[in-house]
Amino acid sequence: MSEYKPTIGLEIHVQLATKTKIFCSCSTEFGDEPNTNVCPVCLGLPGALPVLNEKVVEYAVRLGSALNMTINKVSTFYRKNYFYPDLPKGYQITQYAIPIASEGFLEIKTKKGKRKIRIQRGHIEEDAGKSIHTGDITESQYSYIDFNRSGVPLMEIVTYPDIETAEEAYEFLVLLRKTVRYLGVSSGDMEKGALRCDVNVSVSKNDKIGTKVEIKNLNSFKSVRRAVEYEVKRQIDVLENGGSVVQETRHLNEKTGETVAMRTKEELNDYRYFPEPDLPPLILTDEFIEKIKKELPELPLQKEERFIKEYGIKEDYAHDIASSIELANYFEAVCRATKKPKEVANFLMTNIMKYLNKTGKQITEISFNEKKFAEFLSLIDNGTISKNIAKEVIDQSLETGKSPKEIVKERGLVQITDEDAIKEIVLEVLKENPKPVSQYLSGKTQTIGFLIGQVMKKTKGKANPQIVNKLLRNALMKMKK
Amino acid sequence: MDITELSISQLVKNIKSGEISVKEVMKSYIENINKKESKIKAFIHLDIDNALKKAEELDRMREKNGVLFGVPFAVKDNINVLNTETTAGSKILKGYISPYDATAVEKVKKENAIIIGKTNMDEFAMGSSTENSAFFPTHNPVNVEYVPGGSSGGSAAAVKSKEVLAALGSDTGGSVREPASFCGIVGLKPTYGLVSRYGLIAFSSSLDQIGPLARNVEDAAVLLNVIAGFDSRDETSVNIEKKDYTALLGKEIKGKKIGIIKEITDFDLQQEIKSALNKTVDTLNKLQAEVIEVSIPHLKYALPVYYIIAPSEASANLARFDGVRYGLIREGNNLKETYQLTRTEGFGEEVKRRILIGTFALSSGYYDAYYLKASKVRRIIANEFENAFKKVDALLLPTTATTAFKIGEKKSPLEMYATDIFTIPVNLAGLPAISIPSGNDKKGLPIGMQLIGKWFKEEELLQIAYSIENGG
Amino acid sequence: MIDIEKIEHLAALELKEGEKEKIQKDIEEIIHYFEILKEVDTNGIEPYIYMKGAHLFLRKDQVKKGLDREDLKKNRILSQNKFYKVKRIMGE
Repeated sequence: MSEYKPTIGLEIHVQLATKTKIFCSCSTEFGDEPNTNVCPVCLGLPGALPVLNEKVVEYAVRLGSALNMTINKVSTFYRKNYFYPDLPKGYQITQYAIPIASEGFLEIKTKKGKRKIRIQRGHIEEDAGKSIHTGDITESQYSYIDFNRSGVPLMEIVTYPDIETAEEAYEFLVLLRKTVRYLGVSSGDMEKGALRCDVNVSVSKNDKIGTKVEIKNLNSFKSVRRAVEYEVKRQIDVLENGGSVVQETRHLNEKTGETVAMRTKEELNDYRYFPEPDLPPLILTDEFIEKIKKELPELPLQKEERFIKEYGIKEDYAHDIASSIELANYFEAVCRATKKPKEVANFLMTNIMKYLNKTGKQITEISFNEKKFAEFLSLIDNGTISKNIAKEVIDQSLETGKSPKEIVKERGLVQITDEDAIKEIVLEVLKENPKPVSQYLSGKTQTIGFLIGQVMKKTKGKANPQIVNKLLRNALMKMKK
Repeated sequence: MDITELSISQLVKNIKSGEISVKEVMKSYIENINKKESKIKAFIHLDIDNALKKAEELDRMREKNGVLFGVPFAVKDNINVLNTETTAGSKILKGYISPYDATAVEKVKKENAIIIGKTNMDEFAMGSSTENSAFFPTHNPVNVEYVPGGSSGGSAAAVKSKEVLAALGSDTGGSVREPASFCGIVGLKPTYGLVSRYGLIAFSSSLDQIGPLARNVEDAAVLLNVIAGFDSRDETSVNIEKKDYTALLGKEIKGKKIGIIKEITDFDLQQEIKSALNKTVDTLNKLQAEVIEVSIPHLKYALPVYYIIAPSEASANLARFDGVRYGLIREGNNLKETYQLTRTEGFGEEVKRRILIGTFALSSGYYDAYYLKASKVRRIIANEFENAFKKVDALLLPTTATTAFKIGEKKSPLEMYATDIFTIPVNLAGLPAISIPSGNDKKGLPIGMQLIGKWFKEEELLQIAYSIENGG
Repeated sequence: MIDIEKIEHLAALELKEGEKEKIQKDIEEIIHYFEILKEVDTNGIEPYIYMKGAHLFLRKDQVKKGLDREDLKKNRILSQNKFYKVKRIMGE
């Protein structure tokens, strides 16, 4: 079975985060009252005409450039004709012959190393409205339509079928989402429909690409992975059992994780694309394109690599921190203030991430800023608190918003460095634990760990661990003699 | 003084000087409407009460501003007027209340013209006689047994019968010029992109243009001054400097080069129209213009090119009429049935015919042979005009090959399509053209002469037309 | 011969008995008439789609208030006072 090679291509609709729609000045706000952000243009009233939003062009050029694509100085719009109640004009304005961006790639990291996934085209188009159905057809024979989304700008990214596994498809999407967020061109929120993905899957034993099956309307990263995994397996099964794969459109049943053929309507799809006469060609100047390229921010993978090189932090930390522009910005700000990247990365990826996950807050919403972080690290450095206590201090500071110094003061968490005080406790512990002591003395030296633990417990973790270690060893040495 | 005989500038001057009131003007025109409308049937929608109210309002104004102040005005029913029923002559839009003004309407209103109604037309501007109106045919005021032309037949008839002083029409393949010619008035089709199409219900987006119908060239120029200009709501609107299109009226045309298209002789011209053309050439000679022969070798292909491109675009433009948001709806057992019932009942025969032709011409396997081929031949024709205009300042040819025909006379679609043979090439090339009256035939039916100008040179086109109009 | 059923389907029309034969005949005649274009050599000719030099201008990304519900309701009754309502697609 392993000789089957899957070939996977993605078509991703990225909703561009403009304030207004692609061809009219209506708001793109998500979640407004139905049919309140509508006008003659996006409602398809007779006589209305489209006018292109400059931000859509800017964002598309930005995204196209970030995906290493050629930006076409002349691109054209077409009408794609089909009837659907949420498509008010009976055609969708989209790019067809010459899209705004073509031929690029996105490099993803996989278990096998880096892989370039080529991108065929990126074109801008308008979204349709939203059909709302209550229950299945037996419950309601009507669709309810909200045109607020009609005319919201989309950029469709079409990859070549370079993807070979579900994991790669997942990685590609994750990186694309990071990228659009880095660029500020889209929220990338799949649950809000700001990122929508169709997948083409085929399998083949040889160089000839097998029959392509399209899986439509996947609404989460996990769904994409599951759908591809299932579909690859299904197609191989079909072929192994002597069958042949049918070219069709399927969708993922979220409950079972299976892909199911959409009821085949024998409706012929003939979209009758032709040039949109209401929109002359979009012509971009070299200066415009160059300016956007120059202003492109550092992208996720570049940042990740720089973090490893510049700060010497662990690869998986660098990956996780660079996964969000906000997190990366926070990290760098704190590093600038503290000059201790490794420690910063450690606390960021453990205590702070735990706090964010628990509370659902964003990194930008916490009061534990670079100043507090610096103060916190200096408390460890100058020995005021131990590494153990440090965890408590940062957690408390995150919870309460108080400064690390305040926490330490309030809770009496100052590290005990007084050797006499610690020695007293050490002796106490040795007395109370004769068995580990004799084990130690008979050569099982690893029991010292347990004894250190006991001392730390008695001091509520406040004892300086190095001192505890030293004093314990000294005391045990004496006993041995 | 017969108020309804005054030109736009004369009328507005008289109102502004206090000589006459807007209400008096309106009453004179209403008198004509009451006398004639029942026979002419120029209007789909007529609001006399509102017109009178508006007249009183204008009379109360201290500052009498606007070059159309108090002018009784009509708008073709495919142009949106705020809070007014806008049907485009179709049953599918019966009862549709527009929530906005077309840009051209906004401009006319700003100049304080009084829109008294919406005029009849061939459904969605598809026709040359106004017989394709879903509601009723309009009659030619010159002889009510004859068609007024189309598709802006209602506007032409309303102007001719003096129910209004001027009107807006739309011209996709001759829909302003042909009815102007049949009714014996002036009709101007501006350069594509000069007048905003925002609010004009699209028939064929790459060909449509709003234009004025008026009694004389000067009135047409005054109207063009009002409606021309860049509009940020129409991407095909062209940003050129604002001009005064009346500036050259009355200036001599001595030395201007006027081209006669050689290939015109390939077509059957009505005898009186041939004579009228010759007479116009004489006039031009008298005015010391230079008349020369030019060639548009592919002229005869304009008709099939047009009847592929216009229906193709229309098939998409008319897809929005699905019953969901406005207009007629006939609910079926499911969505597909609802669409089919609504559209099959809502559209008339000619509209369905053109939607089907256009759908076919764009469909997979036929696109290259029809839509694409036609678009290429369109380029050849446009290039030939461009070459001709290297030699001449304007082209002269009849607006139509025959004068008006009787209502119900033309039977086959192709016969009807051929009516537009001389007007269609102008739209294909996006050029400006004007039709001016040029006498009558033996039956007393008006003959129209057409002048085609250079792109965006309407001032010169109007100058030449004015000279012919007044120099004959 | 054109496949009138397919074209009707694409255009969301269903011609009634009576008009169907006539319209089909007309269309075939008209399409036959288009054949004359085959005489024209269009090799190397760019299709004419836009006016010479035409290009888009761009709009600022600034929100403007659109239509009020009341405007919409002049032309359709809105379900629950907010939705357009239409028969569902079969089998959806």
